[in-house]
Formats: sequence, structure tokens, C-alpha cells
Amino acid sequence: MSHGSTKLNKNDISSEIDLHVNEVTVAYNNGHVALFDTTFDLGAGTICALVGVNGSGKSTLFKTIMGFLTPTRGSVTIGGKPVQVAQKQNMVAYIPQAEDVDWAFPVSVMDVVLMGRYGYMNFLRIPRATDLEIAIESLRRVNMLDYKERQIGELSGGQKKRVFLARALAQRGRIVLLDEPFSGVDVQTEAAIIELLRELRADEHLILVSTHDLGLVPSFCDQVVIINRTVLAAGPTHDTFTQENLARAFGGTLRDLRIDHTDAPDGTSNEFRVLSDDEEPLIFGHDGRLVDHWHPGIDEEESK
Amino acid sequence: MNLSYLIEPFQYRFMVEAMLMAALVGGTCAVLSCYLVLKGWSLMGDAVSHAVLPGIVLAYIVGAPLAVGAFLAGLLCASGTGWITNHSRLKGDAVMGVVFTGLFALGLVMFTKVTTDVHLNHILFGSLLGIERSDMLQAVIAATLTLVILAVVRKDILLYLFDANQARAVGLNTTFLHYLFLALLSLTIVAALQAVGIILTVAMLIVPGCIGLLLSDRFGRMTAIASGAAIFSAIAGTYLSYFLNGETGACIVLTQAIILTLAALFGPKYGILFRARAARRAAAGREQ
Ligand SMILES: Nc1ncnc2c1ncn2[C@@H]1O[C@H](COP(=O)(O)OP(=O)(O)O)[C@@H](O)[C@H]1O
Ligand SMILES: [Mg+2]
Repeated sequence: MSHGSTKLNKNDISSEIDLHVNEVTVAYNNGHVALFDTTFDLGAGTICALVGVNGSGKSTLFKTIMGFLTPTRGSVTIGGKPVQVAQKQNMVAYIPQAEDVDWAFPVSVMDVVLMGRYGYMNFLRIPRATDLEIAIESLRRVNMLDYKERQIGELSGGQKKRVFLARALAQRGRIVLLDEPFSGVDVQTEAAIIELLRELRADEHLILVSTHDLGLVPSFCDQVVIINRTVLAAGPTHDTFTQENLARAFGGTLRDLRIDHTDAPDGTSNEFRVLSDDEEPLIFGHDGRLVDHWHPGIDEEESK
Repeated sequence: MNLSYLIEPFQYRFMVEAMLMAALVGGTCAVLSCYLVLKGWSLMGDAVSHAVLPGIVLAYIVGAPLAVGAFLAGLLCASGTGWITNHSRLKGDAVMGVVFTGLFALGLVMFTKVTTDVHLNHILFGSLLGIERSDMLQAVIAATLTLVILAVVRKDILLYLFDANQARAVGLNTTFLHYLFLALLSLTIVAALQAVGIILTVAMLIVPGCIGLLLSDRFGRMTAIASGAAIFSAIAGTYLSYFLNGETGACIVLTQAIILTLAALFGPKYGILFRARAARRAAAGREQ
């Protein structure tokens, strides 16, 4: 990927959409502190996974980055600007968790996608020809154009996600936040979302995806932020997505299998550990690092 | 019974004025009700309409237009409940219940302490047929102002209610929209009070939206249906009250309730009978 180099060079255009989360503490009105001392930085041309157990503060972090929750301490800046300023420039697109949407609302697929264009329309929010064109092109990109007149509740889980993805595309935000995009979604949509995110990364976007589908992370995320009310680890997937860090974040909620292959024919120590959250399992070698992505068929071949 | 008997109400100026006024107020309430029903804020209308009572009495004492007092008290209640909910561990419905009954009680106590020439009955149940010129003018101004402002910000408010995060993401000022909406709600209630009174205002702020939602799955159509139903109810209810010699406000609300019942039963897509038929057909299809 040619964009790996731009990420290292912090002085070029990618720095415009740097996301800085700086010692952020967020408390809800009932007094519950959902996040404390949360710090990490991300640049353009990145897909970053945000992983943590349920209730670890992933959605809270997203809402803070969106400026919907105000940190009691610390700050979030985008390209050095406060969130509100960045939003006025339509820099951040947000794809909400499915549970956060009222699916009975009387709006059509097209209405929802056009909501991504409000920032570009006049104060009456009457779509211009370009807005309509961009909305249609966005729907085509997620393969949902045939459904544009449907009421949003009349779609499958995967289709609903695609609609909101189209809205984010229509908004043309360079930072895209996706809250649990893979939950309740069919395999086809999952693959389509990942493909689209890869395209956006190649196009110098910054993408932050929360998920608890751990097995999927190494296949398309180059960065990982692991949280449990604060950042436990953050950095490139290979260094961060380790057995030790995940065990710390997920504790007893993951299935942990140890497979010892010391009597393998070549005589080398060959201990594997498998962490699974009932989705795709993760396989770690004896150094606690990820073993190359698991392919069931091939794996069995090799162990013979 | 001959025809001239049936058109008799239209021969009185006060009847025609009452119908027009009820139509304007009902239509305005209907538009607001679409937003309230979708957001699950129906009780907000109830709360605000009760909370205006102390405002009305205070306005009377200082000699200000009653509408101004009502508006300020309503806005105070609406934003106050939101503020208390955000800053305490109590849930919104509890806070709202306490604030609005509290303010209503305060209003009642104040009312009995102050001798006014306003009849409590008129405030509670409206007095569409005996409405004074100045009150009518205030109501017309309040309703018109609401409709004009809504025409400008309706899409922004819809986005705010549907997906506040997205509203922020495209740079809308959601705090401003929130309070603007509450202000419009208070303004509408001020207008509605004149027509149907405190007790029945809440119906005008819920029922038309429900009718619209039962008959449509697009917001624009929902608003049109809600307003249409409300305007029809306003005219039909006022008309009926002439013959029934009954409370005008009650007749309007009753008409709305009947339409709602019909929509719930016979609505083409979401109606109970339609659904039952569709389910039967699906079952029959499976058997073949
Ligand atoms: N509106 C709220 N009020 C109070 N506490 C909340 C609210 N939303 C979330 N929380 C709490 O904050 C914590 C983090 O929640 P959340 O960010 O939704 O976690 P995640 O998205 O990782 O599952 C949880 O303990 C949750 O109960
Ligand atoms: Mg969440």
C-alpha cells in the first residue's frame, strides 16, 4: 500500500485530519465515569479498530469525538481544531450503532442519505442537483440504489448499515466513525463494508471502527486501540493486538485454548493459544503475537 | 329537519370565526404533534400546557398580555425539566410529572388568591365561542409565528429529533434547535389554550400526529395528513358543538379521536384490519 509512507510523514496533508484524543475524562450525568485519562492519536490513511468489552466506553468515546458528550477533563481536536469547528466543515461522518436509531421513523432511504448533505445545502435544506447526484452515487456504491424509496425500517440489518454508510459517503467526511458496524450484519455486507473501508483508507481517510468481533480486526485494521474505561493499549495492530493485551481487556469473557505442539516433527517449540469470542478465533504463537490469519483448511494440512 | 337548519351555524359570524380559529390552532398543533409523537415527547405537551397556569395568573397581576405569561411559564417548564433531568439521577418522566403538576398547583393556588374576571373554566376548557378579540389576535399571532418559523427549520428539527449525532456532524447547533423547538411548543400551546383549554390541548398535540403516523411512512405526508385531519376536526367539531350545545373543545377532540380510531382500524398499511388480512393471506399462501 503506497499510503503507508504518508502516515509516517506527519507534515503533509494527512496532518490536516489528525485526530487527537488528549487525556479525556467523560462522566455521565448520573455520575458514572465512563472514560478517564483516555489518550491516543491517529492520522490519515488509517483503519483503526476500537475494541473493548460491552460497557468499556466505545460508544462513549465516539460520542465524545463527535462532541455530543463534553469531556469533564481533557480535549479532542481534529486537525488541531476543536470538534465543533471540524464539524462545521463536514470533516467527521458518524455511523451510529443500530440500537441508537429509531427505525420506525417515517423517512426513506434517500431521505437518510440526503441528511449527510445538510451541511452543504442552504438553510432550508433543499437539495441541489449535486446533492441528489452525490446521494445517488453513494447509494450505488453500497449497492442500495434499488431501495432508495423504502422506509428505513423495512430493510435487513445489513441493508440498514449500508444506508448509513452511504450517508457517511455522501457527507464526504475525511474522518469516518463506525460504531459496531458488524453486529447483526450478514457476511456479504461485512465483506462489502470492509472493502469500502479499504477504499476510503486508500483515499487518505481516517477510519475508526468499534467492534467486539476480534477475529475480523487483523484482516483489515492497521491500528488498534484497546479500551476498558481508559486506553489499555494503542498502536499498530501487529504490536498492540497481542494475547496479553486482549486478555487484559477481555479477561474471562474470551474462550482461551492452549494447543501444545512441542512434539511436532521438526522438534521446535510450537505452542499456540486460541482466543475466541465465539466469532472468528484468534491464534497466537508462543511469543504472544498473532499468527498469520487463520485459514481452517490450510491449517489442518500444515499440522499433518 | 331541513337544509337551512343544517347551514344555520354558518350564518353566525362568531361561529365562522370560531371555526377558522380552531382550524388555524388545530393545524398548528397538528404540525407540532408530528414531531412530538415521533420523538416520544407526547407528555411534554401535557406538561407545558399545565405549567402555563401560574404564568397566566402572574401576567394578569402585572397587567401583561396573558399569552406572554403563558409562553414564558411554558418555556420555563419545558427547559427546566430538561435541565433537571440532565443534572440529576431522576428520569425525565418523573421530573416532568413533578414540575408540571407542581406548577399547575401553584397556578391554582395563585388563581384562588387573586380575584380576576377570567373564569377558571375558560382557561381549563377553552372558550372558543365566547373568545375576545384581543385573545383571538394573540392566538392568531402565536400560531402564525410558529408555522412560519417551522417552515424554515422543519428539516433541521426533524434531523435533530431523528439523529442528533448526525445533526451535529453536519454542523447544526443542536442546543439552539432544542430550545427553539421548546419555544415553538410553548407558543403553540398558548394559541391552543384559547381554543380548547389546558385539559384538552394535549389531545390536539398528540392525536393528529398519531393519525399521520398510522396512515403514512413519509414525514411530509404524515404532516399533511395530520394537519388535514386536525383542520377537518376543528371545523366539524365546532359545527357539531352548535347542535349538541356542548363544549366546543371537547367536540373537536372527540372528532379527532374518532378519526384516529378509524385510521387505526382501517389504515391501508398499518391498520389493524389490514394487517390481519395480510397475515391471513400469507398463511393461505403458505398452505398452497
Ligand atoms: N446515557 C448514559 N447514562 C449513564 N451511563 C451511561 C450512559 N450511556 C452509557 N453509560 C454507561 O457508560 C459505560 C460505557 O457505555 P458505552 O460507551 O455504551 O460502552 P460500549 O459502547 O463500549 O458498550 C457503561 O457502563 C454504560 O452503562
Ligand atoms: Mg456501544
